Amino acid sequence: MKILVCMKQVPQKDAPLKLNESGTWIREDVSYEVNEPDAYALEEALRQREKHKGEVVVITSGPARAQQVLREALAKGADRAIHLEDPKFVGLDALNTAKAFAAAIKDEAFDLIFTGLQSDDYGYAQTGVILAELLGLPHATIIMQIEKTDSGIRVKRELEAGYFQFVDMPTPAVLTIQSGINKLRYATLIGIKQAKNKPLRKVALGDVQSAIGENLQKIERLYVPQKTKKTEHIEGLPGEIAKKLVDKLRNELRVL
Amino acid sequence: MLVFRKPLEGVERPQMPADVVIVGGGPAGMACALRLAQLIDAHNAVHPDLQLSKENIYVLEKAREIGQHCLSGALLDPRSMRELLPGFEKEAPLDAEVTKEAVYFLTQKSKFKLPVTPPFLRDHGNYVISLNRFVKWMGSKVEETGITVFTGFAGSELLFGQNGDGDRVQGVRTDDKGVDREGHQKSNFEAGYDLQAKVVILAEGPRGSLTKQLIEKFDLAKNTNPQTYGVGIKELWEVPSGRIAAGEVIYTMGWPLTTKEYGGAWIYGSKDNVVSLGFVTGLDYADPRLDPQRVLQEFKRHPFVAKLLEGGKMIRYGAKSMPYGGWWAIPPVAGDGWMILGDSAGFLNSARLKGIHLAIKSGMLAAETAFDALTKDDSSAATLAAFQTKVESSWIKEELWKVRNLHQGFEHGMYAGMFHTGLQMITGGRGLRNRYPAQAGYEHMRKLSDLPADGGAEAYLLGPAKGDGKLMFDKLTDLYHSGTKHEEDQPSHLVIHDTNICNTRCVKEFGSPCQNFCPANVYEIVDDASQPNGKRISLNPSNCVHCKTCDIADPYQIITWVPPEGGGGPNYDGM
Amino acid sequence: MPDTILVVVEQREGKLNRVSWETIAAGQAIANATGWGLEAAVVASGASTIAAEVAAKKVAKVYAVEAPKLEPYTPDAFAAALKQLLNTKQPKLVLMPHTYQVRDFVPKLATAMGRTVISDCVGFKYENAKLVLTRQMFQGKLAADVSFTSDGPWFATFQNGAFRGDKAEAGTSAAPIETVSVEIADSAIRNKPQEVFKEAKQAVDLTQAEIIVAVGRGIKEQKNIEIAKQLADALGGELAASRPICDSGWLPMDRQIGSSGQTVAPKLYLALGISGAIQHLVGMKGSRAIIAVNKDSEAPIFEIADYAIVGNLFDIVPPLIEEVKKAKAGG
Repeated sequence: MKILVCMKQVPQKDAPLKLNESGTWIREDVSYEVNEPDAYALEEALRQREKHKGEVVVITSGPARAQQVLREALAKGADRAIHLEDPKFVGLDALNTAKAFAAAIKDEAFDLIFTGLQSDDYGYAQTGVILAELLGLPHATIIMQIEKTDSGIRVKRELEAGYFQFVDMPTPAVLTIQSGINKLRYATLIGIKQAKNKPLRKVALGDVQSAIGENLQKIERLYVPQKTKKTEHIEGLPGEIAKKLVDKLRNELRVL
Repeated sequence: MLVFRKPLEGVERPQMPADVVIVGGGPAGMACALRLAQLIDAHNAVHPDLQLSKENIYVLEKAREIGQHCLSGALLDPRSMRELLPGFEKEAPLDAEVTKEAVYFLTQKSKFKLPVTPPFLRDHGNYVISLNRFVKWMGSKVEETGITVFTGFAGSELLFGQNGDGDRVQGVRTDDKGVDREGHQKSNFEAGYDLQAKVVILAEGPRGSLTKQLIEKFDLAKNTNPQTYGVGIKELWEVPSGRIAAGEVIYTMGWPLTTKEYGGAWIYGSKDNVVSLGFVTGLDYADPRLDPQRVLQEFKRHPFVAKLLEGGKMIRYGAKSMPYGGWWAIPPVAGDGWMILGDSAGFLNSARLKGIHLAIKSGMLAAETAFDALTKDDSSAATLAAFQTKVESSWIKEELWKVRNLHQGFEHGMYAGMFHTGLQMITGGRGLRNRYPAQAGYEHMRKLSDLPADGGAEAYLLGPAKGDGKLMFDKLTDLYHSGTKHEEDQPSHLVIHDTNICNTRCVKEFGSPCQNFCPANVYEIVDDASQPNGKRISLNPSNCVHCKTCDIADPYQIITWVPPEGGGGPNYDGM
Repeated sequence: MPDTILVVVEQREGKLNRVSWETIAAGQAIANATGWGLEAAVVASGASTIAAEVAAKKVAKVYAVEAPKLEPYTPDAFAAALKQLLNTKQPKLVLMPHTYQVRDFVPKLATAMGRTVISDCVGFKYENAKLVLTRQMFQGKLAADVSFTSDGPWFATFQNGAFRGDKAEAGTSAAPIETVSVEIADSAIRNKPQEVFKEAKQAVDLTQAEIIVAVGRGIKEQKNIEIAKQLADALGGELAASRPICDSGWLPMDRQIGSSGQTVAPKLYLALGISGAIQHLVGMKGSRAIIAVNKDSEAPIFEIADYAIVGNLFDIVPPLIEEVKKAKAGG
């Protein structure tokens, strides 16, 4: 099984974020880490390879710092990596990012392509689905389990409110993987050493320029959300407070 | 039931041979790796048939990223960096060149500037840096050389020789990963590796855990003064521009401490309107209720500090201990298969309040010794003893000799300390006698029964800070800004050897000072009807910022700090 | 042709997903601001009953997009069906609720049409004849105003609760319903979905709860958590806790809210005996409404609460449970 895992480097969850001069993005001088859902996608890919033999390839786009995500993936056991390296990749919208990935892998044939279900920075949850459409492949999202079948794969899809669904699909296919579905493995010392010698192919922006176009959407402004909070005190005897609260719950908050 | 972290038994461990293992990726460890790479490259250039490899030289760094656990003021004396990398100023991240220094003596409401800045506090020619960023940069240079830095891996145990060779350090065992809080293997368990190394170099920072293990096993401290420490509590602030110049350096003494406590503050102006400020409190104070984080908050109340910070924003918090003991507290630094560098050895100039340049120099000297050992394929005590000799004939000794009795002079309070310091300044560091004795800090701690119930003159330093959310902060709020994170499901890495002492004796005798001296709210005393005093110790290990204060200050010396699972700890971005 | 907004509602097994009313309300709000027309579409096999329900709202027209292959849901079928509808009707803006199902097909649909989606929006602005959608980024730490730089149709999905479903205006008379039959080739559908089933989840996912009742140290003893649970049950919500409660083992770790637990933004967060340390606040301050009960009037939780009750939670919670039960029973 040849599996591609699309990974993204995002600012660390607790990192204090600062806006850049134009107020359209954040300043680069922050700590980064791998997008957590992508770490689960990688773990799932490694487990599939353990079961069915094959190859796990990881790909990311971004400036030089993004290479760290690939190095960590190789240290955990991925076989090779592709880095679309250029700071300008950060400013591409999801459609262009997917187009760049599609162009970078056009000479390869993967059985499965995984992405995390969404990124911790944008939170769009689109890139995997867009990539499937660009490649003309079937897809399924928010996947909890994958089993190989004679005709392809059977996946378990998570739905809202505690519902699930199995879906039979042909391969090749694109899946977006739910977070927390397995225990992430640790990179070992040997893995880290071996990672240094694993192939890492760099792809320049120029190599995929013809495949991408102008962004179809634009962040006009990025800002700290202002919350005007007025605290209303509810007073009286406990019985009175209870009644007043229920009144609020029913008429103002509409939860009853 | 508290289960404490220790290497799992009966587990098969991967063995990995190494030439040199450097435990700790701080300034000492990185300088050592860099210098070693330089020496090997130079050697290989002229010995095409006798090449030495860098493939088996490793740095173990417990943080997830290089520099992530590095915290200091900091002011860098460029002397050793210029030896290591001439012209380093052109590429290193230096925040500002020191332009102005002042030393103030504070009272509650006013400040008195010392008319003459004491020579050891003059900083012209030094740089304001963020140690975290500086070490990150050093790390990138190390990685360029081909030496592997393993981040997220801690040294958890030293490996000693077998069969009569027990005096030899043979390697380092890394931390077991994926162990749950009961001490059982989780499904993603990875056993720590046994790195069988020719040379083990300990560069763990102040109160290193493997260093402590080594000192205890070989009784290395038997001829030295006990090491004494201070804890530095730091906040990084963004202030409106114009408040302080980049490169402006301020030291204070006096308020909020009284003459009985040792310590003082620093305020450094960095670039982009960032201010590094912090308070170092000597861990030899008498009242167990004293809270060093509270001391920093009270310090900010001073009108001069409050004005500086008004309208500003606190962006990061952290704490770290530092060794004050000076020359007489440094143990032997080399032996059979091992060397000790930097703060782990105690190479810190407590008069200048600087140790980074000494750590770097010690790393360089150790690298030369390690290189020799590799070329001769001999890392016995005889060969590594060269490191001891190098240190003693270098400017490390020259510099530390002059201040060898400084901290000890303060054992009896501030006035005595200033008298002794003055005397030492005109006698090349001697003072009244060549070697002043010292007492371990925790031995100064008094029992509650010996102290006024209300705290007396120190009352305003005792107990937790309340905070106003703008200028002063309670400990939990400050802690949030340290970015500290650990794998939650793991055994406690604060190893308390007998919790009965906590619950039965300490609660009464000292009132559980761990709640106060820990800057991270790791230790809590909770109600427990089943205990004789109705109280029990409870731990929040994942709050830990790896400062080592508890290991140092606990009056019964029953706490051993060991590294938690690698990758966890504070995130000292910009610190 | 004048610009129109098309709201695509969502249905499951012949029943309208109620979040669709919120999307209709959003469509109406944008229509009022921009002066654009508003239409709706139902995509289903046998869409007519749902279409009638939607037609009762104030919309100009409802399309019932029909095809047998639309049941069961597959992204291939839905994308194909809607592409045909949109190519014919050419709305300017297409709105959908940000549900798991919509996430599964709308990026595919937009890409197939060479267009883009701004997803998970929480609001909009219309200034100087420019429509801009507001969404949260970096897990709520920052907000972004995003605009389209392409031609229509523009696609946007709205977050659950961003608009109030009960504010969807009813129409003065039923809107006309137009049935649109679409062609979906057999070969077009590649996924074979099986029956949907419910499963007891291994862990509770608090991020999906609309109402959360959380306890902190003020609950004092493990056995007291029972009254918080009763309140949660009465309200139809989930029980959660601040860190010390989970650390003591009084509630499992998956009920923990805060920087080392879950981050939630439910419709209602009821904090009982929680002081509001910053580590906890970062996990819940995005909640749409916060009610806090604490004995300490200076507890930091009150700084972010919408309703503050300074008092003893053991006095207040029991009568509250009773009043809630009464209200729910139709009192």
